[in-house]
Amino acid sequence: MTTSIHSVFAAAESGISDTIKDTLNALSVPEYFVSITVVLLIIGLLTYRQWTRPMVAVTLSLLFIAFYVWSALDENFFKIITKPDNIPITMMIVFTALVTWVAFRQAAINDARLEKGEPLIESGADDKVLVWPDLVYTELIAMVLCTVVLVVWAIVLKAPLEPPANPTNIPNPSKAPWYFLGLQELLVYFDPWIAGVLLPSLIIVGLIALPFIDKNPRGNGYYTFKQRPFVISTFMFGWMIMWIVLIVLGTFLRGPNWNIFGPYETWDPHRPAALLNINISDVFWVITPDWLGFEWWKPGLPTKAALGGYMPAFLIREAPGIVLLSGYFFVLPVLLAKTIFRKIYHEIGFTRFCVFWLLMSWMFIVPIKMVLRWMFNLKYFVAVTEYFVNI
Amino acid sequence: MATKALVTKVWIDPGCIVCDACETTCPEVFEVQHDNETCIIRPEALDAEFNKPLTESIIEAAEECPVDVIKFDTVEVDAADVPAAPKPAAAPAAGAADASEPATAAAKASPEKPASKVAAPPKPKVVDPAIQALLAATTVRGGHAVINQGIQDLPDSIKHMSKLSPDKLPPDARHQKVLQKSSPKKDETSRRDFVVLGALTVGWGSVAAAGGVSTLAFARFMAPNVLEVEDPKVRCGSLAKYLAMAPGEVNEDYKPVKPSGFWIVREEERIAAVSIICTHLGCIPSWLPNDRKFKCPCHGSGFKPNGVNFEGPAPRPLERFKIYLDGDDVIVDRSKKFLAMGPNDTAKWNDPEASIPV
Repeated sequence: MTTSIHSVFAAAESGISDTIKDTLNALSVPEYFVSITVVLLIIGLLTYRQWTRPMVAVTLSLLFIAFYVWSALDENFFKIITKPDNIPITMMIVFTALVTWVAFRQAAINDARLEKGEPLIESGADDKVLVWPDLVYTELIAMVLCTVVLVVWAIVLKAPLEPPANPTNIPNPSKAPWYFLGLQELLVYFDPWIAGVLLPSLIIVGLIALPFIDKNPRGNGYYTFKQRPFVISTFMFGWMIMWIVLIVLGTFLRGPNWNIFGPYETWDPHRPAALLNINISDVFWVITPDWLGFEWWKPGLPTKAALGGYMPAFLIREAPGIVLLSGYFFVLPVLLAKTIFRKIYHEIGFTRFCVFWLLMSWMFIVPIKMVLRWMFNLKYFVAVTEYFVNI
Repeated sequence: MATKALVTKVWIDPGCIVCDACETTCPEVFEVQHDNETCIIRPEALDAEFNKPLTESIIEAAEECPVDVIKFDTVEVDAADVPAAPKPAAAPAAGAADASEPATAAAKASPEKPASKVAAPPKPKVVDPAIQALLAATTVRGGHAVINQGIQDLPDSIKHMSKLSPDKLPPDARHQKVLQKSSPKKDETSRRDFVVLGALTVGWGSVAAAGGVSTLAFARFMAPNVLEVEDPKVRCGSLAKYLAMAPGEVNEDYKPVKPSGFWIVREEERIAAVSIICTHLGCIPSWLPNDRKFKCPCHGSGFKPNGVNFEGPAPRPLERFKIYLDGDDVIVDRSKKFLAMGPNDTAKWNDPEASIPV
């Protein structure tokens, strides 16, 4: 009798946990996963005064730890997080949450104080810190701790040299180091020269350029969210979604053959996954005429040069994509500067606005293209394979 | 005891309109250079002792300047110690002190120069209001400057300034450069010039040499250490083996061949050699016989059995090598490639050397 009750319990338990796992696996399709994290980010930004309260934050982190431990009981999830390469991912998640909390907690306090007209946390006390002993001691302790952690890490987690590369035995999936998984994810959607050269350069140059674009002195030297909601939200989108979430996606959801797997799914290299990718040119020249039943439109993709050979075939073929992209990069900023970015445009002026839009447009074309790939199998807006220009 | 303000240092802020007024008033100190479109302080006037006797005319020139760019510092001395000046008249202490402020503030603060011979009591040194506003609005904590809340009690003009962004504030008048014109004494300086030039040559020369050597070392590093002398031709056995394959089947025997492997694929009416390098970023795809496709483990590009890309980021189909028959033997020659530029642009594959017809 007792055994049967136990087994019923066990069955019910495993049933519930299986249901949860199946749900989470189903939600791991990238369009859902990234949408959900974006929604979570928006909710987090809207309710930053609530979730940063110490009790709420502690409860949330306890819930997360419970979830993580429960996940680790799953064989497939355990395999992912215990891979030596992936240990830093867990640390990254924890530290990202911690520093975000620290910043938003202080912003919440400061914003509340500003509303009441009280002095900020940063103002007031004269707190010069002496280099000796205060700073040097802190650095010494940090140095010793770092050394100890690194030594223990190096001893406990093996990072052996593997055999020489062999084309018949390739790791599947072949993953970059954890900190590059976000960039590797970009390579799925963009040409190597965009995902590997242009976008990383824009990230670095853009971060350097930020203080020259943003002249607003509010928030200099003190934490606040209320005074700078647009700037901080934009940065949080770029940082949290376009970097952290993509690393998490690359670590937990990319499996053999670079297919998407749920975090609790077995990595089966033979699982069929069909992805027929199409270009905008295919949609415009082939699919739409077919769908509209244009019998007279036979040629499909244009293959002949026009204007006496001065306009090569690929320009005609890719014209729809070129028009779309030109609109996005050159017309949209004009419209925005006249409408919702009117105030920003007048504050920062023409040159700064151009740089601002350059950075914004490239940041947002990444999620736009990802969503189009996931939902409509879009491959390239403009695909000039003849000259390796594919966007 | 009466004191007197004497000019020790003169300089010119940016904004000179090259109008000759100052040179007319005080030619000892100012020199207008129409060619350079500016006015300079003569080198002699960089000396405090040279300026002191000229206090009167310098101040006059400063006041006459239509754009108020002439600034000067003064020092208070006993009236008795004043050296003989051409015109020992009123010493305008207030005007001198105010002159270190930007023009707008000076106009408000000192409406009239005191006419009496008795100099005004020494004022505290007037700080640039821009600096004052920033200092008032700022406290330094933990290494960074913070906009303080305690600016309510300050005058409106300063409150206003604390709200401006730093590049809208008036320039700090104390940090402007003085355009100097030096007249080098040829004999003395030529030797020093020679030494400096020599040192510079040696210094930059060694920097260039170090850079050049490391560039060469880098170039050597980038050059392959191994000379590839392998035969581009690979003998792949008799044709019968490949004729036995069903259309769409892939032979993986020559995947590990160095330096570049290939698959031999059987199409409906021909046999071809397909390179194993993914056209996206150069990873090596795996042949998945169950899915009947090549799938790249790096970024998920997928290729049909004939090498045509259909999924993932790869822009072009897999490349093909020259393949031909030598008697009954199939030879693959990797020195010649046939590139298809897109899934619909595979005309190059129809070249007779790109496949063996079946």
